[in-house]
Amino acid sequence: MPDASDIVFRATGLTKVYRSGALEVHALRGIDFQARKGEFIVILGPSGSGKSTFLNIVGGLDRASGGQVWFEEHQLTALDEGQLTQYRRDHVGFVFQFYNLVPSLTAHENVQLVTEIARHPMRADEALALVGLQDRANHFPAQLSGGEQQRVAIARAIAKNPEVLLCDEPTGALDSATGIKVLEALTQVNRAVGATTLVITHNAAIRDIADRVIRFADGRIVEETVNTVKKQPSEVAW
Amino acid sequence: MVISPLRRKVLRDLRRLWAQVLAIALVLAAGVATLILGNGAYASLSETRAHYYDQNRFADVFADVTRAPRALLGEVAEIEGVLDAEARIVKLGLLDLPGMVEPGSVLFVSLPETGGLNRLYLRQGRLPDPLAAREIVVSDGFAAAHRLGPGDLLPVLMNGQRRDLTITGVALSPEFIYALGPGQMMPDPRRFGVVWAPRSALEAAYDLDGAFSNLVLKLAPGANPDRVIEALDRLTERYGGVGATGRADQISHAFLDAELQALWAMVRVLPPIFLLVAAMLVNMTLSRLITLEREQIGLLKAIGYSSRAVAQHYVEFVLLIAVVGIGIGFAAGAWLGSELAQIYARFFTFPYLVFTRDPQLYGLAAVITLAAAVAGALYAVRSVVKLPPAVAMSPPSPVVYRKRGAWVRRLLNLRQTGVMVARHLMRWPFRTASSTLGVAMAVAILVASLWPFGSIDRMIDVTFFRSERHDAQIVFGTPEPLRAVFAAQDMPGVMVAEPFRQVAATISHRGREKTLAIIGRPAEPRLSRVLDAGLRPMPMPQAGLILSEALAKTLQVRPGDQVTVALQEGRRSTVTLRVSALSVGYMGLGAAMEIGALNRLMGEGALISGVNLMIDDARAAEFYAAARTTPKTELISVTSLMLSRFRATLAENITVMVTVYVVLAGIIAIGVVYNFSRIALSEQGRELASLRVLGFTNREVSGVLFGELATVVLLAQPLGWLIGYGISAAMAASFSSDLYRVPFVVERDVFAIASLVVCAAALVSAWAIRGRINNLDMIEVLKTRE
Repeated sequence: MPDASDIVFRATGLTKVYRSGALEVHALRGIDFQARKGEFIVILGPSGSGKSTFLNIVGGLDRASGGQVWFEEHQLTALDEGQLTQYRRDHVGFVFQFYNLVPSLTAHENVQLVTEIARHPMRADEALALVGLQDRANHFPAQLSGGEQQRVAIARAIAKNPEVLLCDEPTGALDSATGIKVLEALTQVNRAVGATTLVITHNAAIRDIADRVIRFADGRIVEETVNTVKKQPSEVAW
Repeated sequence: MVISPLRRKVLRDLRRLWAQVLAIALVLAAGVATLILGNGAYASLSETRAHYYDQNRFADVFADVTRAPRALLGEVAEIEGVLDAEARIVKLGLLDLPGMVEPGSVLFVSLPETGGLNRLYLRQGRLPDPLAAREIVVSDGFAAAHRLGPGDLLPVLMNGQRRDLTITGVALSPEFIYALGPGQMMPDPRRFGVVWAPRSALEAAYDLDGAFSNLVLKLAPGANPDRVIEALDRLTERYGGVGATGRADQISHAFLDAELQALWAMVRVLPPIFLLVAAMLVNMTLSRLITLEREQIGLLKAIGYSSRAVAQHYVEFVLLIAVVGIGIGFAAGAWLGSELAQIYARFFTFPYLVFTRDPQLYGLAAVITLAAAVAGALYAVRSVVKLPPAVAMSPPSPVVYRKRGAWVRRLLNLRQTGVMVARHLMRWPFRTASSTLGVAMAVAILVASLWPFGSIDRMIDVTFFRSERHDAQIVFGTPEPLRAVFAAQDMPGVMVAEPFRQVAATISHRGREKTLAIIGRPAEPRLSRVLDAGLRPMPMPQAGLILSEALAKTLQVRPGDQVTVALQEGRRSTVTLRVSALSVGYMGLGAAMEIGALNRLMGEGALISGVNLMIDDARAAEFYAAARTTPKTELISVTSLMLSRFRATLAENITVMVTVYVVLAGIIAIGVVYNFSRIALSEQGRELASLRVLGFTNREVSGVLFGELATVVLLAQPLGWLIGYGISAAMAASFSSDLYRVPFVVERDVFAIASLVVCAAALVSAWAIRGRINNLDMIEVLKTRE
């Protein structure tokens, strides 16, 4: 049993119901979950299994219909809109499938966007160096490849020194060689920053680089595996 | 009926984008309304006037004489070009109404002869019996102000004699459409009325048996008025003629002309501004819509719709917006037109004033508006035609931004969100510039509508508090010996009395001439002063003449030049005088001399035409009563009454005018700012939602969008001030005439108020868009590719 002070996330009986007219969609049907500090967790599952909904609630982007989620000593399910914003700002780094960079800002400026509002940020060039993009700092997103854009997004996510790094299909739009580079960047910053990292993916091959793998199906966690030996991203067969 | 799918899409787009559509339609509507209002009022006023003049045989030439025998009329009628001539008696009298303390005057005019000129339009009752000595017809406004009607008595002083006259009717005349009493600045129907009486009665009252004091002439079509006036002046010279005038200088006609000129200026300035701004808005909005529907356009083309059909689809969208605008504009134009007609009814007395609802005008307004909207759409639609379907269906190439202006960033110490604002604004320079220009136009319209307040204040200050500082002025019927000053001094309540002499003269210089009254004042006048350019009072020169700047400009005279002065009274001598200095002044044209020097020129001894007085307020009523009964008094004018009437009239009309202009400017500002922000939000919604995900608060995210708005609105202010200043200067120049000159003064508060109103309108737009920013869907943007 891990030490209680080591727990970053704790969810109990988490449910989410989307209502559209008379139709009710149960996206989450009672999730119990814990994550430790610095843990690298891969979340697998088919489309519609509830993994993105789970990540969004844990990341403070969406609200649960029932149950509780705790981040350290904060009960996320009890926070209002403004407090959730503050939570994202101070503690969470996001990486998304489509990068969501600001097209009018250069790589360096996209990172600065976050360092300017964070409480204990690292320097923007430091974050870019962590993902190996120090040479492309003055390029606009439109001038970067998809993999490079995603690495900028990772640099932007970690520049605030977040406690948690949440990644939704970070390699979904990338070919395998580029995907591996992105995963390398993620594992490296996970080690360097010590942020608890949750990565959603369709790609089961990625499971081997995680400390722990969770599988979602039909709004429930149906399987949980702990990897005793972690592979390097470069060793993963795609 | 089957509606084609594309038509159905047009209707759905209109409903979906209703707020933007309405904002554009309102700007178009403002253009339509001002076009209809301005043109309609212009047409209505000028046509009504022309018709009224024609029906009532309004004269072309007017001349006053002291006293001329009726036999002269035959000679006048013989002048080549004269179709008809009528001799009249026109004399001032004083009102003696019980319960009316302040002085009022009436102008007695002999009744037009049967088939004569300046015929009356009888509104109530009947015309007087030509043989009845005490029957009269009074002017409509005057009758209304005093609630007089047929059968009532009107007590007056005629030539110093008190009489009770019986009103038989109430009438209007083309000669007094704008009924301005002598010495008045604004029509005041309570203190001035026109009284038409049978000739015989006036002959008796003013000792003019077999004589007349005024001539009106109707000219044959094509006759040269200048030549007729010249011939007429030669005939009337012996009888105290002071120079005939054409219609252009007839007071009522000239004021109507000034109003028509102002309307014409409005028609030329306002509608083009609205149509230009609307065209820019159409362009902005349609360009964005087409960008968003790029894939749909590709699809439509791919499945076989022609480029023309797709382009037509977007043009139809714009045409429907224009139709909405035209509909609102028609309604607003018609409504404002009837409001304006009511204002005219207060100022101008017409027997009828129809606000024309000329279908041609409405048709023209609609066509011009549709053309402006389509012109705005053309550029955007061209891109639809040029887009090949295969290209359209693939995602657009990413927007390229450039890094520049790093110094601006350092200078302003911009954060990254600030950099976003700057880069986005610079990425679409045409849109940024046209939105800035649009907002600037709103500021300019307000500056152009607000500046006259400052000018009027300046006019009042200079005219009444620095120049004409007397409380009252008494004008004698005929010049009196100098000792009349002492009589005036002895009247109750009079604290200071200062004489003046007034002589009609024609001043000429190198072929240019002007007939006006030269005013003789004491060497160091205290009550009625002329001012130099620094607004300091000027002493009257012992020799020489002070001309007002406006007159000097007309005659092209500079100080030191010699002018020829032909006196139009007394011995009518002609002398050459030196222009010793120029003075400033806004009312009429002015020429001043020292009173002694003027009397020496006249050679009739020390005479005065009247006195300027300073009155003890507490004894004003006593003074009025005494002044009225002094036999020599022809006219008493009271500065405070004139000024309060002036201010009250302006206040009434200005409230209406300013409300209309504030609404118009608000429509532009809201229309531009709202559309600009909707487009900016549509383009950057994804980025802004991403910022929310990153932990930016709603306020910070709104700040990015509002930063863009604020930049546009702020840049627009100085530009708007500049454009507004230019329009105002042109207005001031076009308003100035011989009647008055409009000083061009734009007070600082005009700029401040204009900017405040426009910023308030921008805030309203920002407020309207705030909800959309707060409801940005964070999860949606994460799932979709741009």
